[in-house]
Amino acid sequence: MLGVGVGPDGLDGGGRLPGGTADAVPMAPLREQDREALAVLLSVNGLGPLTLGRLVDRLGSPAAILETAAGIGGRDALVEGSRAAEGEWRAIPLALADAIVTAAADRAKLLDQVTGSGLRVVARGDAEYPPRLNAIDIPPPALFVRGSLLSLTVARVVAVVGTRRPSPAGRRIASRIAAALSRAGATVVSGLAIGIDGAAHAACVSEGVPTVAFIGGGHARLFPRAHDRLADAIVDGGGAVVSEYAPMVEPSKGTFPQRNRLISGSSDGVVVVEAGARSGALVTASWALEQGRECFIVPGSIDAPTSDGCNGFLRDWHGLARIVSGVPQLLDDLGLAAAAGLPAPLGSNATRRQTAVGKEVAVRSTVELPSAKAVLSGRDPAQLAVAEALVHGAVTVDELVAVTRLSVGAVLGALTRLEASGLARPIHGRYEPVGPLAAADPRAA
Amino acid sequence: MLATLLSATLVALDGRVIRVEVDVAPGLPGFTIVGLGDASIREARERVRGALRNAGFVHPPRRITVNLAPADVPKTGSAADLAIAIGILIGSEQFTPRAGRAALIGEVSLGGEIRPVPGLLPMVAALARRSVRRVIVPADGADEARLVDGLEVVPAATLVEAVDALRSRRRAAPTRPARVELAPAAAASAGRPGPALAPPLPPPDLADVRGQVEARRALEVALAGGHGLLMIGPPGTGKTMLARTIPKLLPPLSDADSLSATIVASASGEGPIHALVRTPPFRAPHHTSSYAAIVGGGPRLAPGEVTRADNGVLFLDELAEFSRDVLEALRQPLEDGRVSIVRAAGAVTLPARFQLVAATNPCPCGHAGEDDRCICGESVPARYVGRISGPLRDRIDVWVTLARIRAAVMFDDAEPESSDVVGARIAAARALQQARPGGKLNSRIGSRGLRAVARLRPVTRDRLSELADAERLSGRGTERLLRVARTVADLAGADAVEVEHLEEAARWRPPSSRPVMALAV
Repeated sequence: MLGVGVGPDGLDGGGRLPGGTADAVPMAPLREQDREALAVLLSVNGLGPLTLGRLVDRLGSPAAILETAAGIGGRDALVEGSRAAEGEWRAIPLALADAIVTAAADRAKLLDQVTGSGLRVVARGDAEYPPRLNAIDIPPPALFVRGSLLSLTVARVVAVVGTRRPSPAGRRIASRIAAALSRAGATVVSGLAIGIDGAAHAACVSEGVPTVAFIGGGHARLFPRAHDRLADAIVDGGGAVVSEYAPMVEPSKGTFPQRNRLISGSSDGVVVVEAGARSGALVTASWALEQGRECFIVPGSIDAPTSDGCNGFLRDWHGLARIVSGVPQLLDDLGLAAAAGLPAPLGSNATRRQTAVGKEVAVRSTVELPSAKAVLSGRDPAQLAVAEALVHGAVTVDELVAVTRLSVGAVLGALTRLEASGLARPIHGRYEPVGPLAAADPRAA
Repeated sequence: MLATLLSATLVALDGRVIRVEVDVAPGLPGFTIVGLGDASIREARERVRGALRNAGFVHPPRRITVNLAPADVPKTGSAADLAIAIGILIGSEQFTPRAGRAALIGEVSLGGEIRPVPGLLPMVAALARRSVRRVIVPADGADEARLVDGLEVVPAATLVEAVDALRSRRRAAPTRPARVELAPAAAASAGRPGPALAPPLPPPDLADVRGQVEARRALEVALAGGHGLLMIGPPGTGKTMLARTIPKLLPPLSDADSLSATIVASASGEGPIHALVRTPPFRAPHHTSSYAAIVGGGPRLAPGEVTRADNGVLFLDELAEFSRDVLEALRQPLEDGRVSIVRAAGAVTLPARFQLVAATNPCPCGHAGEDDRCICGESVPARYVGRISGPLRDRIDVWVTLARIRAAVMFDDAEPESSDVVGARIAAARALQQARPGGKLNSRIGSRGLRAVARLRPVTRDRLSELADAERLSGRGTERLLRVARTVADLAGADAVEVEHLEEAARWRPPSSRPVMALAV
């Protein structure tokens, strides 16, 4: 476990789930009664993946655990059954055994909560279970899924995460990275939090591609509520909202870091856009390194509090964490050189791109993000001028007026038209591009 | 002997003529005042006793009974002091007044000086209505009393001067007993014009406000149409400073409004007043102010801040920190332009046609939207502004959010428009509105009137319904949009509301009514 954050093993002493590591052995298809039993057992408070795995090992199957619990003297049978012959494991506590017995009795109600909220239980061994998750230390025995996990089986899955309080620039960068990844055929996963996570998901939705959100609590306790509509849009767009927790589990301080291991674990690489010194996004980055995934950090000014965590992480893990020097460069580093469906260009086809210092670098990526002008085609000049300024980082009406040289009234009117078509929005007295405009490339002509 | 004189008392903003009957009879020495007087009237006994003695008169060792009539009007304050003192002098035959109806208003000091009282103007006006021909008032209040036509105002600085003004023939002033003055002059002449201890800061000019063009424009639009304005923003972004420029931006009051503003100022004890109040009042009560301080009331039925802001602006800084009761109480005045105060003794209705201007932080810590500085939870900012209740938010037409400006804007060379320039535009826009039938400001026109003055062309009407649909505006929200757009058009001198005016006005909607056009927060 790396230095930052909380491990997945807050439940137990850091041991690996027996047989739970990246083995290539195909798992036996899951029986329907085991799937239901898993859904019931995961609702038990205190029964995490480790203990559950151990009980399954001892008693044979999830369904067998429930049968034991429902039988006569179920509690004692569970305790006895959980004791290993060699004494390697201690027996489960009585309170936990009681809770399992209660859950077994409430089986019908608990299953109703799952099916009633339109959730599916995708367990290990199911074809839909995200393949990359099988390779992490403690894979969740089952996932509660709204939507489809199909998009996690594509060639590249990339997590885009960051602070819940980003700067306007950070938001735009997250949107651009997510849009570019989508255009290159990768699936973006994130955590549905406000801020960077939300911007990344929203960019995928506006590109019309599936994206997957791992949430840190039960589905019935979706947090933040402000993202209810975003969650719906993700599901409607062919993506999924996923939780390893039963529907009624309250999100808490401990569930979010644990959830973070799924964000990194289901991806090939994690991109951290902005993170303050104690941001949970750094936990996800640490998980990525732990799980042997690529870790990309967008650097920021050393004066920017929203980038303290990013810069600190780059310093602490130099050599392991990689720097994001631009969106095309990131795509190159992820092996996403071409737009989806196009053949990867040969090295000789690499385009020359000018860096800020005038040096030319070879970038193979052919993925292009549109310019503000392209997004705004056919709109009036005032809107175009204001949109250009927004994409270039103007945020207040003061700045928009100064940059566009339009009157205050004209700028305000243009903002109204942009907002009405979902291209800009006010937030705390500042304005920012949203939707397709958020992903516009400020350097594109 | 019985002496009967006229004086007046103040009931809220109204003067009431009262008859002061003083009977000085033989018997055990005593001094009784009857007639529904409050504590300050009962204390008049002590003031009058001292004043008579120290002015060189005799406080007669007889049985003195003062009756204040009519008995059913509650009398408050010290305005009857002078009449009581003079009544005793007449009743004890220390001088003989000449014939003719004269009234007396004033508080007496222990030294025999006559001090100004709150509400002199409405009290004198009440006397004039009752055909009183002559009134003796405190010397400091002479200018104020002379604002009333139709009666002779006689200023008197001391009891002796008052006696001289009333007596039938002149005689030498009585010798005054020796006394020692230790109090500094300024304190002794409390209420007289002189250096105030904490002079109010002069209002800043709009040219002193850097950046914040959006908020400046919102302020201009709000003042031009009399719309309620709420500024939301972190501390130090200029909300309060912008609000403090308001007195310089508003046009002077009309004659009728000016008279009523002067009466309110007089009754609120802002005197002595030397001329009609022409500047629209700007009241900025603190958020810890009590219900009675804002609405009015108390034993004296004193006008509250809503009444003192009549014809002007009521500025509530830190709006979300005001108590719920106080904010709820603003409902009636915002809707009817007046406020009713109901007491056990009866009810009065006071004018309260103020324009509401308010400011609030976006969240309890004040730093929402400022990178990592906000320490509030994610949903706290929305809840904080959400504390402003529905009826109140319905009366606020113009909402604007301010963000901290960058230092570059703060110190650039561009000279912002001055209050004179913006004030002229506001005055012109108001003149346009007042020239229309009814002469009401846009914020006060009814729905039908609004449709008439908007003069929407079909294309503008279509755009209005598009905007309303896109923003999912309620009927009230759409009307508010059109109302503000009418003011934007007035500022532009346009006859009809055009699309551009609608689109600018659409920026001043409450943030909460904004559906999440973008998916992600």
